[in-house]
Amino acid sequence: MASKWFVVKRLLLLIPVLIGISTVVFAILHLGGNDPAAVMAGQGASQEQIETIRTELGFDDPIWVQYTRFLSDVSQFDFGESYVLKPGQPVWDSILVDKLPVTIELAIYGQLFGVLLGVPLGVLSAIKQNSLTDHITRIGALAGISVPIFWSGPLLIILFANILGMLPASSRIDTQYFIEGPWVFMGNELPLTGLMTIDTLLLGNIDAFFSAVEHLLLPAAVMGIYSMALISRMMRSSMLEVVRQDYIRTARAKGQGQKITMLKHGLKNAFIPVITVIGIQFGTMLGGAVLTETVFGFSGLGVILVNAIQAGDYPVVQAAVLVFAMLFTLVNLTVDITYSYLDPRIQQ
Amino acid sequence: MSTQTQQRRRRRGIRGFIHRLRHSRFLSNLAANRLAMIGLLIITLMVVIALYARIFIGGVGPIEGYYGEIMGSNLSGNAEMAKAQPSMKYPFGLDGQARSIFPRVLFGSWLALKWGTVTVAVSTVLGVSFGVIAAYYSDLVDNVVMRTMDVLLAFPSLLLALALVSILGTGLQNAVVALILVYTPRFARVVRGAALAVLEDEYIDATIAIGAKDFRVLARHVVPNCLAPVTVQSTLNFGLAIIDLAALSFLGFGAKEGAPSWGMMLSAGVENGLHSAWWWPFFPGLALALTVLGFNLLGDGMRDALDPRMRDAID
Repeated sequence: MASKWFVVKRLLLLIPVLIGISTVVFAILHLGGNDPAAVMAGQGASQEQIETIRTELGFDDPIWVQYTRFLSDVSQFDFGESYVLKPGQPVWDSILVDKLPVTIELAIYGQLFGVLLGVPLGVLSAIKQNSLTDHITRIGALAGISVPIFWSGPLLIILFANILGMLPASSRIDTQYFIEGPWVFMGNELPLTGLMTIDTLLLGNIDAFFSAVEHLLLPAAVMGIYSMALISRMMRSSMLEVVRQDYIRTARAKGQGQKITMLKHGLKNAFIPVITVIGIQFGTMLGGAVLTETVFGFSGLGVILVNAIQAGDYPVVQAAVLVFAMLFTLVNLTVDITYSYLDPRIQQ
Repeated sequence: MSTQTQQRRRRRGIRGFIHRLRHSRFLSNLAANRLAMIGLLIITLMVVIALYARIFIGGVGPIEGYYGEIMGSNLSGNAEMAKAQPSMKYPFGLDGQARSIFPRVLFGSWLALKWGTVTVAVSTVLGVSFGVIAAYYSDLVDNVVMRTMDVLLAFPSLLLALALVSILGTGLQNAVVALILVYTPRFARVVRGAALAVLEDEYIDATIAIGAKDFRVLARHVVPNCLAPVTVQSTLNFGLAIIDLAALSFLGFGAKEGAPSWGMMLSAGVENGLHSAWWWPFFPGLALALTVLGFNLLGDGMRDALDPRMRDAID
């Protein structure tokens, strides 16, 4: 089984990358200018107190002992305790668990926006090559990758919230449905997903669901513009390549209509390389989440990361960066494996 | 044969350079691409604005006076003048501290282009060095260099920049250093691919056979033949670098509070003027998007004009 070996090889290649990522994340605490023990002890702590904390936290140990301890802790989701944002509270349980779904929900809907618009635009552009539609789509795509999120976001807010008054400008849901963390929702204590659009449905509250969707529209659009632009470009060039292949000529030669040839044979094959683009630009999407959350006042992983850097809360910074990198790596792994099943040629 | 050699010899120097430029297929392809030329026009315009702003707006007075008294008309005494709409006198309006946004946006182009150039130039040089070395030397060197690059590429770019900023500390210089580390691997990967293609060519074998040292082979033969994809990659990444720098400033890790950088102006505009003064975030963002569009248009045209073998090296 060739494909099994491809997956195994791909997983083995992951090991050096994971070691590298964890090394960089480990370095954040140790190369960052501040003495973590001093930050933890707080202002006005005596030298003795700082030293006690240093010994307690194991900062006196040799660096490789600290590194292996870091690895074993992190593999159990133990990122230590927050210094500043929630002093003494465990980083994962009390901070990240609540914030992660916010970012994931944004990324999913942003990506959905990008794929649902980007693919048809790219196909249209390719089928009508060099027409006016094609030119407009291509220029639009170039404009789409040039517009920074922290400008398109405010522009959409000004247009749709301030001028037209159609959509809300910030937060994840109307205040009447206010949610505190993923585990407590409108007074119900349920093990919910933390994804607002799913939770509201699980609770069967349709009004709340529509409110959540309303609040997601602008941020998802802002996040999706870039990926829509990239996907439509890739889709177009991939489609143009595919229609020149022999199997398309065969399909045409046996008398199949233009539409069916394009959709059945063309689109299916042209979509394969686009999957890679979706994976690669997921990283940009996560970076975009930081900016989108800031603009729209979502309190997700990105905003927490920014706050933690500003406050010098290194364990939170470490955890957030690691989670972001792991998400990106996981998505790329999934994409690579999916790709290898769809197009077995690359396994060689 | 001998006349050919003579001709070739005659065309050295400046005239030879001009001759090669005029007969380059790459440039004539590029010049025929209307969108690429529009991009070039936008970039030229931005460079002119940047130099104008540097000489006539920023050059006078102390550095702290870039903004405030000297640049913007300081009307903070007059409260209702603050956040005034665009008018003849203040084409882009006034911001919350009653500073004219227009000259600040002009000056922002100087900051964006200057630091964008530094970021791209340094990461290009580093990336070319790493890429060429990885392609030329043994598997071990190749693996060590490229696996390191892989690790850096395993982070979403803006998040790696943020992680590095948390190590280096905030400030424009540190943001630039962080972005250089973020961008270097991209160049290294492209250059390694292009260099591997060049190293297949026979003239490389010939050069090695006549006893050229490694450095000479790399510097005189491999690097010059990789320059085309590198130039395209630099142009395409220039836009991204400007956006990422502005993003770091926007998040509060780049330019100093109150500095006339586009990212900083946008951040102030979004925070204080989003619902009351649309022009405050609008114009700095417009300048930013336009500049980036210029680089993307040009870079895209350059990629299309490139010969197919080199085009494959660029992602």
